[in-house]
Amino acid sequence: MREKTARVSQPLGYPALPDPATMSEEKRERRRQALEKWRGLVERAEQGSKDALPAIREVLGDLPELSWRLVNLAKTAEDSLIKEMTSDNDLLAREMLPLQLAAMREELAGPDPSPLERLLVERVVVCWLQLQHADIVYAQHMKNLTLKQRDHYQRWQDRQHNRYLSAIRTLAQVRKLLKPTVAQVNIAEKQVNLAGGELPSSPGQT
Amino acid sequence: MADVVSPWERRERGGLYYTRSRKVNSQVVREYVGGGLLGQLAARMDAQERRRREEEAAAWKEEEEQMEALMAPLEELCEGADVLARAALLAAGYHRHNRGQWRKRREREDG
Repeated sequence: MREKTARVSQPLGYPALPDPATMSEEKRERRRQALEKWRGLVERAEQGSKDALPAIREVLGDLPELSWRLVNLAKTAEDSLIKEMTSDNDLLAREMLPLQLAAMREELAGPDPSPLERLLVERVVVCWLQLQHADIVYAQHMKNLTLKQRDHYQRWQDRQHNRYLSAIRTLAQVRKLLKPTVAQVNIAEKQVNLAGGELPSSPGQT
Repeated sequence: MADVVSPWERRERGGLYYTRSRKVNSQVVREYVGGGLLGQLAARMDAQERRRREEEAAAWKEEEEQMEALMAPLEELCEGADVLARAALLAAGYHRHNRGQWRKRREREDG
């Protein structure tokens, strides 16, 4: 049975619980299995299988829950990166970096993001952090690297850069294609906002 | 298992001669360095160089493993987010044109 949590309605930011560091292997395995199932369906749908699309629509209700579970994963990645990028004595950086990331997250998410958007925003933020980490590591080691190692680090940086751009692109696509567009029309000298495809109710209707 | 050839070669007159083997155009070429003190000195220098390279390789491998471990949750996150986004777009009636741009599926008007 699907676990119900109250996290879907939580404001943007880290979900309060569970702490991913203490997440059991069983839960991680369940998350992996759920993602495998989704991946299978998506690949079948993309290859033109007719029964895959209805199956995706059937499980679409699980999407917010799964998105939140992945947001937890983002927190794990973020925590590890912050730890790696700052020394134990650098308390200011350890305090400031999460605040900077939170500000980025807020700015990217905008008002009222869907669970999927929140997940995609988290992905952009963590990918940005990973890119900063790759740059720092390269700068720190640059002097002592052999040509082969330098090449390896640069390919590593390129990989992070592509991942970051891909994260931004997916967020933009989802925003553009799935967010209901709001159109403004004038009806009887009044401005009315219409969300994608919605028709204004006729007079007398509620 | 590959044959390990000793770098010390016994000469006909009984003395030991230090040699180095390296690959040139995928063929093993043996370089004769010398016997006695010169051979021992070359052998010691080669052993030091070998140790340095092994240590460097081990440190490099450890660093790579650390980076991969750091990446693991991010990889899973990216893959998962990507799958969910694709699922949501497919469910909303979009399809990917030539694995690139997402386009709205055209409704067929039969009859």
